[in-house]
Amino acid sequence: MKKILLISLLSLLSGACHEIEEWDNDPKGNFDALWTILDEHYCFFEEKGVDWNEVYNRYVAKISNGMTSEELFLVCAGMLDELKDGHVNLSSSFNTSYYRKWWSDYPQNYNERIVQEYYFNFNYRSTGGIDFGILPENIGYMHYGSFSDDIGEGNLDNVLAYFSTCNGLIIDVRDNGGGDLTNVETLVRRFITERSLAGYISHKTGKGHGEFSEPYAYYYEPADEGRVMWGKPVVVLTNRSTYSAANNFVAIMKLLPRVTVAGATTGGGSGMPFSSELPCGWTVRFSACSILDAMGNSTENGVDPTEGCAVDMDIEATLDGHDTILDFAIGYLTRS
Amino acid sequence: MKRLFGLILVALAAAVVTRAGTCDSVPEIKPLRPVMSAYMVEGGGSHLADTYLTPLKYDGWGVALRYERMQAMKFNPDRWVMRLTAGIEADHTENPARNATMWYWGLDLSWGMMHRWPLPHGLTVAGGGSTSLDLGCLYNSRNGNNPASAKAAWTVNVTGYVSWNLNLWRLPVTLRYQPTIPVTGVFFAPDYGELYYEIYLGNHSGLAHAAWWGNYFMMENLLTADLHFGNTSLRVGYRGRILSTQVNDITTRMITNNFVLGVSGEWISVSPRKGIDPRAGIVSALY
Repeated sequence: MKKILLISLLSLLSGACHEIEEWDNDPKGNFDALWTILDEHYCFFEEKGVDWNEVYNRYVAKISNGMTSEELFLVCAGMLDELKDGHVNLSSSFNTSYYRKWWSDYPQNYNERIVQEYYFNFNYRSTGGIDFGILPENIGYMHYGSFSDDIGEGNLDNVLAYFSTCNGLIIDVRDNGGGDLTNVETLVRRFITERSLAGYISHKTGKGHGEFSEPYAYYYEPADEGRVMWGKPVVVLTNRSTYSAANNFVAIMKLLPRVTVAGATTGGGSGMPFSSELPCGWTVRFSACSILDAMGNSTENGVDPTEGCAVDMDIEATLDGHDTILDFAIGYLTRS
Repeated sequence: MKRLFGLILVALAAAVVTRAGTCDSVPEIKPLRPVMSAYMVEGGGSHLADTYLTPLKYDGWGVALRYERMQAMKFNPDRWVMRLTAGIEADHTENPARNATMWYWGLDLSWGMMHRWPLPHGLTVAGGGSTSLDLGCLYNSRNGNNPASAKAAWTVNVTGYVSWNLNLWRLPVTLRYQPTIPVTGVFFAPDYGELYYEIYLGNHSGLAHAAWWGNYFMMENLLTADLHFGNTSLRVGYRGRILSTQVNDITTRMITNNFVLGVSGEWISVSPRKGIDPRAGIVSALY
């Protein structure tokens, strides 16, 4: 009995003192905090082959307590760029770091003005963040520029009903940098007729770089009865700036029947971001949970177009008002 | 832990059964058992930390509204009292750089029974158990996909009080110190890096955790002085609450130190049909 009481008392005392790691609010302390937050939470170290300890040794040498905030920011931003991840940002009151090479090293493959001017003569409709119209080939076209724009079910009903006499549908998500995954679900539900595997999600279970949960399968249900559905052929247009939630949308759509992905490989960004902060008040955002496609594959580096459908925009053709990716999709749907 | 939990339940059950088993041949005059009710407003300092949201510790202020009800039990009223508490709480805190805000909103409900031992000089000592339900949410406005950390716990607690009825000059006063410590229970926590979006998608595994002092430590210290000016009493006091949890490498710490101001009093529910037996004594729960 005495032993139990002793253990209980010790537990009581130890329980009252759950420790939280602290860092000094100086350049070294903030640098260490940033490195540690990423070290314990970032989810793609192994997938990207990043030796984070080596990165620490390389960048900590650049830290001195006499450096200015701007200098510290640049060192920290440089360290984060080693992750080559568009979901990793460091934000201060004077700057936000951003790794841009995931799209800046690739052709843009999209010019909104060309579509609006040469394909619709600026005569198109807009609702719920979607610009849409019917092409002369009797093909419906919709451009959804951001999954941050909420799509209402009523909006989708109107858009799809408007296309009801069309032979095919082009969903253009080029330059769609992502947003809310619930909007992905809202949109995808119009293209499935039964409960469908959408993908898997896996989170970190501990601080180790390889500590992950078993991928959890998640499913989408078809839209509610009475909603306008789409069962005709679909071509999804992509470019390198199709990122994050838009990348997830493409990964799901690609595996549906009668859906073709055309254009360029998407930008990736399959890690769901977490936010944290440093003692100096700077915010850091980073990929924390990995979302896999329905085949169990990572799409962090992007989703390739359907085989035979990789197309780049012809710069010369754009001068004549042609979007060669859109032209490809029109031809593809017309033929099918 | 199970043994301790069992002992508390057995003690409570034994008290009920023992009294229920007695059978007096003479009709018993039931004592009047007034309800002590207190309505309190609290305010003070708050310290919040939750490593799911941020590794930094936030400081600020907190306010709460609380209700407390105590009454002698129907069985053995001289020895057993019940206590019901309910409260809502809001805390507003800032990070050390003062450029981010974290809120806590919570509500709590607790019911318990205590055995009391009257001592000389107006002193009373009581000890017993209670069960509590705590629900709340920490919200950090600067975070994108992880802005909130939900808190939910059902606990079994040990509690007790020491009270002292005395006169300050000619004013009757009741002083009380009441600590409460959860012994075991169940509480909610997501996995280390699990987004609430994954829970929304349907992954509900591993969210409930058995509580013990190693992973869930809470202690509440309540100090009150009820100044009996008449039928109604003025209550002033202090409530300190420490909550520290650590599960799945997520550490949460919430510390509040509040000044308590309220009114309290005793009331009796009288049936117009039965009236009050003038021979009945009055058994107060606290005063």
